Amino acid sequence: MPKRIAIVEDDPSIRANYADVLKRHGYEVSAYANRREAMAAFATRLPDLAILDIGLADEIDGGFALCRELRAMSATLPIIFLTARDSDFDTVSGLRLGADDYLTKDMSLPHLLARISALFRRADLAREAPQTEDLLDRGNLALDMKRFAVTWGGQPVDLTLTEFWIVHSLARHPGHVKSRDQLMSDAHIVVDDSTITSHVKRIRRKFAATDPAFDSIDTLYGMGYRWKSA
Amino acid sequence: MVALVLLAIPLAGWSYLKEVERVLRAGQEHSVIATSRAVATALHDRPKLLDLRARTEEAADEGAMPLPGGVRPVAPDSRAASEEILLIVQGLGRSSGRIWVVDRKLNLLAIAGGLKRIEPAPQPESAWDRFVTAPLRPFLERVLARPTEDFDDALPEAAIAGGRDVASALDGVPASRWRHTPDGRAAIVSAAHPIWHGEQVIGAVVVEETANAIQSLSSDALERLVTVTLVAFLIGGLTLLLFASRMSGRLRRLRDEAEAAIDSQGRIRRLITGTRAHDEIGDLSRSFSTALERIAQYNAHLESLASRLSHELRTPIAVVRSSLDNLRMQLPPDEARVYLDRANDGLARLTTLLTRMSEATRLEQTVREAERERFDAHAVAAGCVAGYATVYPAERFEFVAPDVPVEIDGSPDLFAQMLDKLAANAADFSVPGAPIRVALGRRGSEAVLTMTNSGPPLAPEIAGRLFETMVSARKDAGAEPHLGLGLYIVRLIAEFHRGTAHAANLPDGTGVVVTVVFPLAGA
Repeated sequence: MPKRIAIVEDDPSIRANYADVLKRHGYEVSAYANRREAMAAFATRLPDLAILDIGLADEIDGGFALCRELRAMSATLPIIFLTARDSDFDTVSGLRLGADDYLTKDMSLPHLLARISALFRRADLAREAPQTEDLLDRGNLALDMKRFAVTWGGQPVDLTLTEFWIVHSLARHPGHVKSRDQLMSDAHIVVDDSTITSHVKRIRRKFAATDPAFDSIDTLYGMGYRWKSA
Repeated sequence: MVALVLLAIPLAGWSYLKEVERVLRAGQEHSVIATSRAVATALHDRPKLLDLRARTEEAADEGAMPLPGGVRPVAPDSRAASEEILLIVQGLGRSSGRIWVVDRKLNLLAIAGGLKRIEPAPQPESAWDRFVTAPLRPFLERVLARPTEDFDDALPEAAIAGGRDVASALDGVPASRWRHTPDGRAAIVSAAHPIWHGEQVIGAVVVEETANAIQSLSSDALERLVTVTLVAFLIGGLTLLLFASRMSGRLRRLRDEAEAAIDSQGRIRRLITGTRAHDEIGDLSRSFSTALERIAQYNAHLESLASRLSHELRTPIAVVRSSLDNLRMQLPPDEARVYLDRANDGLARLTTLLTRMSEATRLEQTVREAERERFDAHAVAAGCVAGYATVYPAERFEFVAPDVPVEIDGSPDLFAQMLDKLAANAADFSVPGAPIRVALGRRGSEAVLTMTNSGPPLAPEIAGRLFETMVSARKDAGAEPHLGLGLYIVRLIAEFHRGTAHAANLPDGTGVVVTVVFPLAGA
């Protein structure tokens, strides 16, 4: 049975393009132009994954409201923000509302597809017991490559997909310096350097919330970042 | 020059006073003439007195010569007649006038009264006199001639014999004249009136008075006029001076504020506090404020332009990109692929531009929210410069810095980002092969970072504006798109560290040095 994806996007061309490419990849797609239409449809049946724009025609923060309502209906439904707004403030707001990822619209479709399939995998495997062969173990850090789940000292750390890929890129070869460009390509994103800096900052903060003594990510100014070998 | 016009006012006062004095003198002249007529009238009907005198005179003439330079003595045998005339004359006598009677032969028959007035008792000094007139008195006395009672009141022979008035009176026509005392210290008005006997003139009465009474009145008035004028001018001058210095003070303050309002980088530092004064300077200051506010708004508009542009462009670019991606997934024929690739190249460049634009905008937000920590700029700079070897393999970076920590308050991430922008800028302009020198040192309580590259010097008209948004000194459009945002980012980060950035040509014109100065931590 194909996965159902809901797209809420006010621009008809983008909406149609995304719908086309997703359909071609075997997903069942329903597209909505505004929050009312989308909510009416979600009330009868929830999709398996939602892609939301933030500004929806006359509602500048319509996507945020939609995310909040969706999250109230389902705690596990994967939600992706796909928007033209790239400020840190919007990113933080979106992720705080429970979105699984926050992407800007210059994301290429292959990258988007990779994320969607990764998110589906994570949702599907969430309830299954982890397989040891899919684990990457680095001292306190454990990365579950199939579920895109991270634990630190046994405690789960809630990372977005992008953050997971950055941590994975760093921790795969502890002691090796990863430049920002390398991190970008490993995380399947095209952004500027300061966005990577913000991502790393957020990752550190999330680990520090679990363990205040966390300092495994080194900044090498002018070069990049490095996972400290334990 | 304009103030000279004001002199017309005291001048008008002075000429008015002179006019009044003239009128008074005419009045005095008339009164003297009237007195002489009255005396003459009293003597008209007494030809005997004068006849007797005349006869006695004739007798005396035969014997004795008149005393030199003096009044002819009255002969003893004519004393009785003489005393009678004197009585009449004295009866008509005036306090400050002199009356004398002569016969046809100019013999002085009687004289009464004196020319000197009794000095009026000094008035009790008023406050005005004490505080205003008294200090000015030495000056006033020098400028104004006050009449004096200290003059030669002798009656010279010439006054009797040579007087036109006397001569005219003896011819039967009353006359008056003005003359000066022999020493020239006082003016005397004299009037002569014939004494008739029937149709024959038998003598003349002459009444003299000094003009001192009028003159002292007029000089009093003149003195008051001068004092009042001086005081008025003094007060007026002081008021003007006060007003003018207050005006120029306010104008100077306005100028200073206007100069300080826009700094060398063209940013509006601080709006002039629009004064509430209801005059032209207040208006000027308010219109300055309005103009500055508009410039500030315009600047803000320009600075937000990049952000809004990048935001607005992102949606159409997403349409193009998703369309191209869709096309590519349809497995198009090879010849179509060429155009797809070209479209993708163009899109990639557009995206780079967009990323740069949003980088500046995002940085503005980051700078507003960034947390400050104390860090060693030396370590950050050393790491960055080492990293540039891989980022710019064609350039040679040199790091020149004493091996001491340079602690500053701020964000090491932002500091590194600033260095990246400086390095990118230097690498773009550098002559291939020539080293790019990065220096970091301490100077007093400041840290000084310089990035020096060889290359074309800056045009003077752009040097001051390099750190503004969307200003670029690049002449040729290279493969990489440029928006002139790199040095703007440098400025934003320098300001976040409470520092300043500026660019200058090397003294020999072979390159450019960008200097950023920050305060050291704890300084």
